[in-house]
Parts: sequence; structure tokens; C-alpha cells
Amino acid sequence: MYFNVKDVQQFEAQKDFIDTAIVPLLSLDFQEQSIKQSSSAAEYLMSLTAFIEQQFKGRLMLVPPFSYTEQTKSGLFVPLLKEELHNAGFKHVIFVTCDHSWTSLQDQIDVIWLPAIPLESMDKEVKKKVLEDQLKQVIPILSSKWSQS
Amino acid sequence: MSNNRVSRRQFLNYTLTGVGGFMAAGMLMPMIRFAIDPALQTKAEGDFVQTSQKIDEITEEPIKVDFTFEQVDAWYKSDVTEAAWVYRDGDAIIALSPVCKHLGCTVNWAGDSAHPDQYFCACHGGRYEKTGKNVPGTPPTGPLDEYEVAEKDGFLMLGKKIPNTLG
Repeated sequence: MYFNVKDVQQFEAQKDFIDTAIVPLLSLDFQEQSIKQSSSAAEYLMSLTAFIEQQFKGRLMLVPPFSYTEQTKSGLFVPLLKEELHNAGFKHVIFVTCDHSWTSLQDQIDVIWLPAIPLESMDKEVKKKVLEDQLKQVIPILSSKWSQS
Repeated sequence: MSNNRVSRRQFLNYTLTGVGGFMAAGMLMPMIRFAIDPALQTKAEGDFVQTSQKIDEITEEPIKVDFTFEQVDAWYKSDVTEAAWVYRDGDAIIALSPVCKHLGCTVNWAGDSAHPDQYFCACHGGRYEKTGKNVPGTPPTGPLDEYEVAEKDGFLMLGKKIPNTLG
């Protein structure tokens, strides 16, 4: 499910089944030496989360990414965000990011950290393969979450 | 010879009819052409998408075949990759859509080790038999959709999604 009207209506009707929120945390960096790398990481994170959505469409909702820069990051209260999504009916809230610093909050939130892989230089076939391999790392985390409840 | 002379009146009549005929035809032809144009249009092969799967290599065990087509959403064009589960049933090739009829997850053949000869949806444990028939008692309410199949130079081509015909 995406965060659009059609899917949200379905979510409201099927809250028992759609119980997981996937929240991408996206770091933006506009400095000259790192803007390119930052855009590559963003592309990777967006492709991967869209792929996760495609595979598990009926059980999770992919929330639009929360983007921040180094300066605005401290204002992003991720644990609060988790609370709000919980109250909205998502039993599991999983943050996906390429920014390693979020792993320090691991005792408060469920965060999946994946190092960014530059997809832009790959052709379609290789890209798909890489995303499939990455998905395989995410599936066990999701299924262990789901089997808990 | 002199008896057969074409009179001025006759000559003008013939000429006017001839020229008038051409003019009328010149006007009517494009109109008719426009009117029946949809029937003349060669139907593009576009309804079928070429895959890289050789027909000979398809066995009775379902395999995943990826295919890519261009989707136009208003002004935004994008390449969409979809997949199908393809297997052989006697002489026929069956291609099933991997989209779960429950809430749209992607199903996998033998995805659940307890049921190695069924499609499995990891989201809510939905299961389908090899023909796409949903297993009663699991969440899905209908069978998996089917793709129209065709062959071109030994390669598999997939067409429109149609409701499951295998019962």
C-alpha cells in the first residue's frame, strides 16, 4: 500500500490485515562534495522500499520518506513518529534507512540499516538482482516481526 | 465521320461530368477514409510483450518469468517490470499472475516449506494450487489471474491479464 487515497481507504477497511508501516528515513546532503552521493543513496532507498512494497503490498504501508539534512535532523523525533503510527493502527513500525546513525536508537525503534549501493551505474538486470538480494535481507526481519504477534 | 461529330453541347457535358466526378471523388475519398480509418489501422502487436523465456525450456514446474513494458501515466512514462509464474500443462503453456487476490502481495511457488506444491503468499498465509485455484480456508477469495500467451520465434510472449480459465 502506498500513502494515497485509494490505498488508505483499503487500509481503513482492512486494518486487521495491514498492520505494518515502513518509514524511509532519508538523509539529504547538498554540499558540493556529497550531493551526488546523497542522491545516489536516495535513489537506492526509494527503489528498495518500492520493491518491498510490491512484494508485501497487502500487509504493509509505505509512508512517504521523512527527509532531513544534518542541520534539521535533531528536529525529527522518530520515536514520536512511531507512537503516532502505532496509534493509527500500525502494530509494527519499521524504519528503513541508509544513515547509520539511526542504529543508535535501536532500543526504542525498529530500524533496518542498509548501506547504500550505487544503482545508477547498473543496467536493469543487475539492478533487479541487487534489489532482490537486498530484499532477502529484509524478509527475515519482517517475518520475525510478524511471527511475534 | 461528319455524322459522328461531337457537338459543342455534348463536349461540354462530357467535360463537366468528368471534371465534376473527379472533384466529387477528391472530396469524398478523404471523408470515407476518415470514417473507416479505425478498421484499416493495423493492430499493433503491442498487446503482447516479449519475454526472454524460451518455450522449450518451460517444464511442468512453475518458473518465474519477468517481463518489462512501458507504462504511460499522463505525461509520465515508466518501465514497469512484472512477473508471471509459467508452467507447461501437456501442450499448453499456462502463465499465472503472481498478484495475490487477497490484498495484492506477490505470491511465490513453493514459498512455504510445508506446502511445496502450492503458491504461497507470505503476507497472510494465502495459498493457491498449481492451477491458481485458491485453497479454501486461506484468506484469498478467488483464483490467480491468468495471462494470455503466444509464441514468437520460440520465445514466450505474454498478453492481457484475464480471469482464471482453469477452474
